Amino acid sequence: MPITKKALPDGLELFVSGRVDGAAANELEIQVLEAIRTGAKTVYVNLADATFLCSAGLRVLLQYWRQMKGAGRSLLVANPSPEVNSVLTMTGFRDQMVEGT
Amino acid sequence: MDIAAEHRLRNDLAETRRIGGWVEEFAQRAQLPREVQNAIDLALVEAVTNVISYAWADTREHWVTICFHASADEVRIEVCDDGREFNPLTVPLVDTAAPLESRKPGGLGVHMMRELMDAVEHRREVGRNVLTMIKRLPKH
Repeated sequence: MPITKKALPDGLELFVSGRVDGAAANELEIQVLEAIRTGAKTVYVNLADATFLCSAGLRVLLQYWRQMKGAGRSLLVANPSPEVNSVLTMTGFRDQMVEGT
Repeated sequence: MDIAAEHRLRNDLAETRRIGGWVEEFAQRAQLPREVQNAIDLALVEAVTNVISYAWADTREHWVTICFHASADEVRIEVCDDGREFNPLTVPLVDTAAPLESRKPGGLGVHMMRELMDAVEHRREVGRNVLTMIKRLPKH
């Protein structure tokens, strides 16, 4: 599951591709933590090329969505693929976590 | 024509990486629609992750068996283990309408299994957990 980064005027965007399974969720957590440490006001997790998202990945998103919100910052999911969008919808994450919803 | 397959994996979470390939291969043989393949893939990863995480208290090697069976009407997947009795259907339901701030961390995997499958059943059989997940196929 390769993760690449792009600096934005208001934060940092992480591009995650492939299967976000248990092991990949650990890698995602490391990258999100690193992004938070840079002081980014908003961390965007771009899931346009993610083909699979399991509950381990959801837990990472939820944990840092809360942490960022509590600190007056934000973590948002950007451009979820249809597979990921379906998971975010069935778990009730989509409306609160996806950018632009 | 009915199609069947059986696979085994060790009680190591890294082993769950093999599931996607098995589901893909089975879906091709059984000519399953993509959305059915995706649903089985995710539900199965969640089911097996639960087993590996909770079934055994010791650190010895154990095995999880996965059986696939496709007929004209449905796909039936069985996940068997010889661990302690664990019925994932007893996990409290997730309130998906609740704000994310107040969500409890657990239960999402089982919630998705229930949502993705048409039926999920657990039974205890000769010292083993047998979890059966059924996905009905769209009519042609």
